[in-house]
Amino acid sequence: MDIRMEDVSFSYEQRSESGAETLRHLSFEVRGQESVGLIGANGAGKSTLLKLMVGLNTADSGTIRIGEWPVKKEYLPQIRAKLGYVFQDSDSQLFMSTVYEDLAFAPRNYGMTSQETDQRVAHALELAGISHLRDRQIHRLSGGEKKLVSIATILSMTPEALLLDEPSIALDPRNRRNLIRILNSLDELKIIASHDLDMILETCTRTILLAHGEIICDGPTREILQDRELLEANGLELPLCMQKIDR
Amino acid sequence: MSRTGTAIYEINAMETLAERDQWMNHIHPLVKFILTVGYIAVVVSFHKYDLIGLLGMVVYPVAGFLLAELSFGRCLRQLRVVLPLVCMVGLVNPFFDRVPVWIGGLCIRAGVISMLTLMLKGTFAVLASYLLIATTTLEQICYALQLLHVPRIIVTQILLTGRYLTLLLGEVNRMTQAYALRAPSQKGVHYKVWGSLTGQLLLRSIDRANELYESMLLRGYDGDFAYLGAHIRLRGRDLVYMAVWCVLFVLLRRVPVILWVGRIVTGV
Repeated sequence: MDIRMEDVSFSYEQRSESGAETLRHLSFEVRGQESVGLIGANGAGKSTLLKLMVGLNTADSGTIRIGEWPVKKEYLPQIRAKLGYVFQDSDSQLFMSTVYEDLAFAPRNYGMTSQETDQRVAHALELAGISHLRDRQIHRLSGGEKKLVSIATILSMTPEALLLDEPSIALDPRNRRNLIRILNSLDELKIIASHDLDMILETCTRTILLAHGEIICDGPTREILQDRELLEANGLELPLCMQKIDR
Repeated sequence: MSRTGTAIYEINAMETLAERDQWMNHIHPLVKFILTVGYIAVVVSFHKYDLIGLLGMVVYPVAGFLLAELSFGRCLRQLRVVLPLVCMVGLVNPFFDRVPVWIGGLCIRAGVISMLTLMLKGTFAVLASYLLIATTTLEQICYALQLLHVPRIIVTQILLTGRYLTLLLGEVNRMTQAYALRAPSQKGVHYKVWGSLTGQLLLRSIDRANELYESMLLRGYDGDFAYLGAHIRLRGRDLVYMAVWCVLFVLLRRVPVILWVGRIVTGV
């Protein structure tokens, strides 16, 4: 599965009072099983970019292709069956009463039999390491568990690419470590939008730095995340593991 | 816990009850739904002075609560707001219906009998509904409605309203908590901020509902919960359960069982 963006621009209104574009003339390509980090300060356009890929927002100009399909209304069902999108806020993602029901939602919508659905759910739970949560009620889960369930709901669709919006937000260190382990164990193409640069360092080989709706830099993660000047000029800091601790 | 917090807790508690691995919970939802509607129809059909006949209908909620292992006390606690309202409906009857009636040497107004009958009808109807929702999930009830050919758009509306209800209450809870923490000496919310609070609530709820809808779209939702209840099969025991209750309803409607039992016990 390849994702290709060519000269894509987007603005919220005519949408925003200023009329300023949220994303400006973005072009890049993500191929095969790449794992790409999408970094940038608040408001840089990371979430908007991910939403454009799954057709939740529509680009004002330019073309986006997901595999063989352009992101257009008529192709959205095929595209969405191949792309798994994990929301920043798990409470926005999970809406059924139990973990099983939420994981079974997509397979059922795609016409799987109950036996196939059971298998998909069991496999997704196993991948996310949360088989023990299968029959738990969503509202009784902790924040970390909800995040893992959110990822599992996507894995039950067996997508070819994963788009994750701030996956490590609000996770405690153990859950965050668990999330990194899971992400690294998945072979699918991944695009991870995050401020957690340490996590990006551990999960992504390539990083795209966004600022004010433009791509500032696109290259190997280690190179970009070691460049203090570049990061600071764009509202970020070195990953914590690269910062010296001053006493 | 705040009132909204309690409401959320109680809604979640009902869902927990409905999802138990319990004999009654496994009865086909269509059977339970039809029985509930049928029971309420039979209860309502009793004459306003037929208190004794109506008393026999207590069998269904009592047996249902026992079979489903539901706590009657917990039910009363959860229905503490609804039941008094139901009982209030007949309060004016004694003032308008003044015909004297003699019961065991005691003279009372016929209005008192019709008031008690009305209260009992309401209470039985509420208990039967409680029995249904405590043993059947919202998805299963919607499945039963689909089988009854209720238009899909209405079924979807009911299902999503159920889902969004807790979200709405959650937003109310967060906002009132944030307000209370910055207005510690106030009781409730000052009327001057009602407007902005309601506006905020509306906007936040729309945002949240929109995100949930997006999440559904991204997982193949196309406006139809066609799979609802696809794994539920109507079995022989469901039909037996329904047949037994149908026979009992007819029997209780036609025969004053309580009166007979009273006569046997007292030997009159």
